[in-house]
Amino acid sequence: MIKIENLTVSYRGAQGEVQAVRGVDIAIAEGQFYTLLGPSGCGKTTTLRCLAGLEQPSGGTISIAGQVVFSASQGVMVPPHKRDIGMVFQSYAIWPHLDVFENVAFPLREMRGKFNRKELREKVMTALTLVQLEQYADRPAPFLSGGQQQRLALARAIVREPKVLLLDEPLSNLDAKLREETRAEIRDLVKRLNITTVYVTHDQLEALTMSDTIAVMQQGKIVQEGSPSDIYGRPSERFVADFIGSSNFVEGRVTALANGGGVGTVETASGTVRCILPEGAAANDKVILVLRPEDMQVLAADQSEVGNVVKGQVISTQFMGDATECQVALKDTVLKLKLHPTTKLVRGDNVLVGLPVERCRALMA
Amino acid sequence: MTTSNGADVAQAASALSAAAPEQPRGSWLRLPTLATAWHLALLALVVLLVGLPLTFLVVGSFSTSHLPTDISLSNLGFSNYAEVWSDRETWKLFYNTSIYAFGATAFGLTIAASLAWLVERSNIPGKVWIYAGVPMTLAMPGMLQAMAYVLLLSPRIGLINRGLRLVDIDPINIYSLGGMMFVEGLRLVPTAFLMLVPLLRSMDPALEEAAAMSGANYQSTLRKVTLRLMLPGLLAVGIYQLMSALEVFEVPGILGMPADIFVFSTKIYAIGHTVSETPTYGKANALAMIYVAFAVLTTVAYAKVIARQERYTIVTGKGYRPRLIDLGWWRWPAFALVFLFLLFSIILPFLVFLYVSLLTFIQIPSLATLQKVTLANYWKAAQDPYLATALWNTLFLIVVTATSTVLLSFFISMVIVRSKFWGRWILDQLAFMPHAIPGIVFGLAFLWFFLAMGGVGIDIFGSLWSIAIAFTVSYIAYGTRAMNSAILQIHKDLEQAAYVSGAPPWRTMWRIFFPLLKPTFVGVWIWAMLHVVRSAAIPLILYEGEDNQVLSVLIWNMWDQGEMQEVGAIGVVMILTLMAATLVFRVAGFGSGKNIQAAN
Repeated sequence: MIKIENLTVSYRGAQGEVQAVRGVDIAIAEGQFYTLLGPSGCGKTTTLRCLAGLEQPSGGTISIAGQVVFSASQGVMVPPHKRDIGMVFQSYAIWPHLDVFENVAFPLREMRGKFNRKELREKVMTALTLVQLEQYADRPAPFLSGGQQQRLALARAIVREPKVLLLDEPLSNLDAKLREETRAEIRDLVKRLNITTVYVTHDQLEALTMSDTIAVMQQGKIVQEGSPSDIYGRPSERFVADFIGSSNFVEGRVTALANGGGVGTVETASGTVRCILPEGAAANDKVILVLRPEDMQVLAADQSEVGNVVKGQVISTQFMGDATECQVALKDTVLKLKLHPTTKLVRGDNVLVGLPVERCRALMA
Repeated sequence: MTTSNGADVAQAASALSAAAPEQPRGSWLRLPTLATAWHLALLALVVLLVGLPLTFLVVGSFSTSHLPTDISLSNLGFSNYAEVWSDRETWKLFYNTSIYAFGATAFGLTIAASLAWLVERSNIPGKVWIYAGVPMTLAMPGMLQAMAYVLLLSPRIGLINRGLRLVDIDPINIYSLGGMMFVEGLRLVPTAFLMLVPLLRSMDPALEEAAAMSGANYQSTLRKVTLRLMLPGLLAVGIYQLMSALEVFEVPGILGMPADIFVFSTKIYAIGHTVSETPTYGKANALAMIYVAFAVLTTVAYAKVIARQERYTIVTGKGYRPRLIDLGWWRWPAFALVFLFLLFSIILPFLVFLYVSLLTFIQIPSLATLQKVTLANYWKAAQDPYLATALWNTLFLIVVTATSTVLLSFFISMVIVRSKFWGRWILDQLAFMPHAIPGIVFGLAFLWFFLAMGGVGIDIFGSLWSIAIAFTVSYIAYGTRAMNSAILQIHKDLEQAAYVSGAPPWRTMWRIFFPLLKPTFVGVWIWAMLHVVRSAAIPLILYEGEDNQVLSVLIWNMWDQGEMQEVGAIGVVMILTLMAATLVFRVAGFGSGKNIQAAN
């Protein structure tokens, strides 16, 4: 449905040439919920705006539903109003001089003559019903709450039944509770309508809960693309592991190469650990172990040293309600663990930290 | 220097420079050449309308031939400048202009500052009336105000002077520098007042309270804290008023010219209208160049002061309500001062017009005269064919000028604020340039321009269109400043949401920008209307007979011929109409915030 090839965007800033996007390739199948995730300034919004046609790329090709909408080599630039898209802006961009109904009717009216009054009214009301705003149709748009404005923006974006829906951090202006509800609502809605959706966010939770595919971006490039569980469970780079969820990083050196399941051994300052090695790792390569806080267990120090363990000492514990966070000092680093809230540990306890082999991944340093 | 609002202008300009230079987001308008084409066309138009007349002004100042149409390369030289600089008259002009402008500013600023302080910081009674009444004085055209004072204080016919003579007091002569200073000073008060009130309001009262806590009494707090803190603001307002006083033509024209007291604006007019000898327009241009230099210097000084003032930290923007100072018994003298101002600036001028318009000849009010009250002057005026033509001409001029000012300003500002066109900076500067050019000089520049156009077959000199064009160009400085800040306030997403909703650029303009900018459109329109009606400088210079005689020129000519009663009748109707328009302007939302200053 959407194909982006070797997209580059550069512009002249105060400090000279700035490369906002450097060679992005994306292919999105019909009906997919695709998320661009990354910290601010990573180029995710710029990529989205190129897709909308609001920004002019410096190179590459973009096609939507088989139609080339931008191509640097062919000199094609289809303006935004001729692209079959709907978009929700971070600021919602609700037109203050129009009421709720007219805001939604705007895209339909711009398809001049295609609908008669009755059809138009029906379509607008259907869209408003989908976002549960049907009783507010006559209200001046500025009199809506933040959450309602957000839904109004969504209704306006889908009323034309576009092939592609673009969402630019639509939830970032909502309070936490509302954000949680709206996440599910948006995903349900676009899935029901089978609209191919591109979603931009810096919030990992939004990305993980809503997406079919996540592309993590950093400095104008996609560093990893995959399903939410892939991205979380098998980060390919330290940046991804760090940005999504929280991770412990332990430096080490490969001592034994991978056997069948990709498991090898790595020597760290606190002991030798078995883990999944990155592809192509050779003996003596420097690697970094990625350990998720919730994956590790604590074994009492007097338990026999079986399995995959490192020795350490508890330096702090913090009761969080649904978990206990515990910091364990190793020889050269401190591990953060997320344990069951009933775990009884106190500062100074000597412990063994158990690392499940299948969840313990090494990355090339 | 159209009397647009300088504070606004500087703020919009600084907002622009903050927003415009390096927008990271590219606009898709960059690629289509159609967009660039209309940008270029607009730039060409503005260069033609602003650049060419000013070029003629400069080139003309070197022309030694008598008439603009005789200009050629062979008769260019420095003789105009030599003549102007060696003429003792010129030094007299400098002297008169300085005395008059500084005097009027000092007088106006003192009254305005007192009024502003009284309403904002003291418990003076009748505040609502002061807030409403002081700005209403803006509705009084300078020409009519000056004429009203002639009727009151002319040594020969002035009603007050005749009264003074009865009790053996020497008459007061309004035809003097002092008279000009007084009348122009009164006219500067409302604008200064409207600029000073927000300044006082935004000052953190804690600064004053801290002085009180440190043991300072009211007087020394006022002197050592309030006034000191306000000094940069006062300076800015002062320079702005100086610009207005320098520019004005009507007041020195009515009060100075009959007594052969000339300032720059009136002298330039007079050179072109001498009956005794063939006018030398080149000399007028040379004089105008000095005048422009004067005006540009003031404008630059103003911009500097404004920039400094913005760094001043007393303006907190928080809506504190300061403690009001109890004037005690002094409330009543203070109230009397306010009343006196209103009396002199609007009540008395209006009453004298009304009085004169109801009599067949001017005499001191008495029971006998009141019995002779008649509407004859109104009937006479109503049947005056010249008045009918002038009214139609004025209406036409209002509609054309105000509409084209709004549209031209809008399109220029759209390019300045929203596009990435390489020439937008030039466009911005060109559009702002008329701000520094006094109206009379602008008229002169356009006189040359239209005469030259006649030479290439475009014959619009002497038509109403010529005045409309000159007015429009001189108003786009204000128009674009107002539009710039208004367009800046429209979030870019609102525009882009329309594009992604399938609206092409022109539809987006129609359905998003026009409705959202409607208040600004209306405001600029009414502002232009008020200025068209009031100003006489440009129409007088471009006046060529009945065809393009507008109301202000008609009044000027009637006054010249001594038809004071008829002028009175027209004046009464005009003042009432302008008051209504001013009221609409303020009610429409332009009476609040900084836009209010623009109403001058």
